[in-house]
Amino acid sequence: MSNDNQTTKKQPFIEIKGISKHFGDFVAVNKVDLTIFKGELFSILGASGSGKTTLLRVMAGLETPTEGSIIIDGIDMTHIPPYERPVNIMFQNYALFPHMTVFDNVAYGLKKEKMPKGEIKSKVAQMLELVKLSEYNHRKPDQLSGGQSQRVALARALIKQPKVLLLDEPMAALDKKLKQNTAFELVNIQEELGVTFIIVTHDQEEAMTLSDRIAVMEEGKFLQIGPPSEIYENPRSKFIADFVGNINMFEATILSKQASKIVVNCPTLGGQHEIDFNGSIADDIESITLAIRPEKIMINNQPPSSENTYIKGIVEDFGYFGNLSIYRVKTSDGNIIQVSKQNRYRSERIISWDDEVYLSWEPSNLLLLTE
Amino acid sequence: MSAVLASMDATFRERLWKKFIVFIPYLWLLLFFLTPFLIVFKISFADPVVAQPPFTPLFQNLAETSLLEIIKELGFFSGIASYIQYLSISITFDNYLYLFEDSLYVVTYINSVKLAFISTCFCLLIGYPIAYGIARSPQPTRNILLLMVVIPFWVSFLLRVYAWMGILKTKGLLNGFLLWTGIIDQPLELLYTDTAVYIGMIYSYLPFMILPLYANLERLDIRLLEAAADLGARPWRVFKDITFPLSMPGVVAGCLLVFIPAIGEYVIPALLGGADTLMIGRLLFDEFFMNRDWPVASAVAIVLLMLLVLPIVYFQKRQNQELLEQQ
Repeated sequence: MSNDNQTTKKQPFIEIKGISKHFGDFVAVNKVDLTIFKGELFSILGASGSGKTTLLRVMAGLETPTEGSIIIDGIDMTHIPPYERPVNIMFQNYALFPHMTVFDNVAYGLKKEKMPKGEIKSKVAQMLELVKLSEYNHRKPDQLSGGQSQRVALARALIKQPKVLLLDEPMAALDKKLKQNTAFELVNIQEELGVTFIIVTHDQEEAMTLSDRIAVMEEGKFLQIGPPSEIYENPRSKFIADFVGNINMFEATILSKQASKIVVNCPTLGGQHEIDFNGSIADDIESITLAIRPEKIMINNQPPSSENTYIKGIVEDFGYFGNLSIYRVKTSDGNIIQVSKQNRYRSERIISWDDEVYLSWEPSNLLLLTE
Repeated sequence: MSAVLASMDATFRERLWKKFIVFIPYLWLLLFFLTPFLIVFKISFADPVVAQPPFTPLFQNLAETSLLEIIKELGFFSGIASYIQYLSISITFDNYLYLFEDSLYVVTYINSVKLAFISTCFCLLIGYPIAYGIARSPQPTRNILLLMVVIPFWVSFLLRVYAWMGILKTKGLLNGFLLWTGIIDQPLELLYTDTAVYIGMIYSYLPFMILPLYANLERLDIRLLEAAADLGARPWRVFKDITFPLSMPGVVAGCLLVFIPAIGEYVIPALLGGADTLMIGRLLFDEFFMNRDWPVASAVAIVLLMLLVLPIVYFQKRQNQELLEQQ
């Protein structure tokens, strides 16, 4: 869902320079730098307590940073109060004004601009149409469903046409099916209006489907920033690999190092592997982590016909999800490997508990993690 | 079948139990609120007499034979029937008419409402910022501040009013302080004036304003204020658009808690007010104990009650209607 043609224009729109936020002794955000481009859909992904919401609140002006500065569209915003920033925020759980109707909630931002009443009316009507809530004008927030509340909150935050829209866990309160539809709608609205979106979320799936780029945050710092595919396929550390999706990780010993190749020995994954590696590695490091994602392993009843290395194992646990099945396979040395398999044929006999299975993979699917 | 019956029986018993639980507070109100009210209501239609009790009875038996004797003679039903024939009911509206004939009562009512209203306004003006400040302070400080609001209750109300007499009198603390600082060179006449009554009322009833307001403001969702600020509202607008409207239930509760007891207040105007501070509480006391005119005193009390209850019932009805219209 990323629209690369927009990000290639590459003009810094939001620049976060060395921002820190301390609460007493606690450091919520620790000297963070970040550049976001115009029209981008950017996600900050992190567990609770990683400092992502604090950073968002600093951008909105709801918290003053302890140090550092924020520049939006060339203007220093560090000490501008929230009511004067060209930034709007959509709060987690939406924070709709309970004593106002849907119309008044959405119109609130415009009323503060002292816009003429007729203009407010037509703008709000337009916005409510965009979020498909035209019929709900006179409802109060407590008469709306979760999905409707979310769209009112979105309309209210977008009505002033902010340069940046900040979304704090925009879909955390929605159920799964609704989440998927909302994700598409959100991206469509973003493309239609061209507003820069910054989304804070703990849900990696949400971050993946919504964003052009993701920043993974932990303990007040960014661990990796990049497009979703890069974060997923080339995680920089074990933490990121594990946080974004599922992954199997095993210890391996380094046998030899060459310019762009490393040979490692991993008993669990069937012995020696030659892997492309462009990073640098200290000479004294002998062990390294070898990782592979569950969907990149093939599982079979018979040994694979290809020349790829394979290992034997026994299915210890098995979960059937309809479209796919997830297996936990015990290898000969007692480790567990997680494998997921698309259920591509209706008549296929499903591999089940205690079956003896053969696991194989493309060598390029193996990943080396040093940190 | 029997299982169905058993379960019906269970729900029936449950309902009975629920009714019983609801019945207890009703019984309490019936015994300790409605009964005295009805007695006062009855007395307000009697004539004063110099006797014990000092009013004419509602029913009088002209036959001068007791009910028991008549029943003995004529049997139960016809006995009661003939007894009723000899009963005379004496009701007089003179007491109520008297209240409107003598301008003293009307003036006193108006004065009481005025005093209570102004006191309530001041309590709201002073109490709102205090309640807001307490609700926004960090948890440990909050408990200490709340304690300070409640602490005066631990000293007898009467003592506190006497203390104010000490502060306000001509050679009292306040005048002494003001003379010492040189702000004034003549002591102020404060005690036994309306000003003293206002000071006493506002001081005494302030906690009743602060506590419900605090309970409301403490639950206020900060994110709503942040959302308003984010949408371009300056702090004062945020207060006007969000904080205050959402605290209305607390404001109404606080105002009622101050206004209702203030209107019938006796001790404060009696101790701090002058002879010309006319308040319904004092009037009631005088009618009962000085004039020993219980019927008029009862009528004063009933009118006061109507004065308080009718507007409240009206407002509540209107509020319910508004709620219904919104849905």
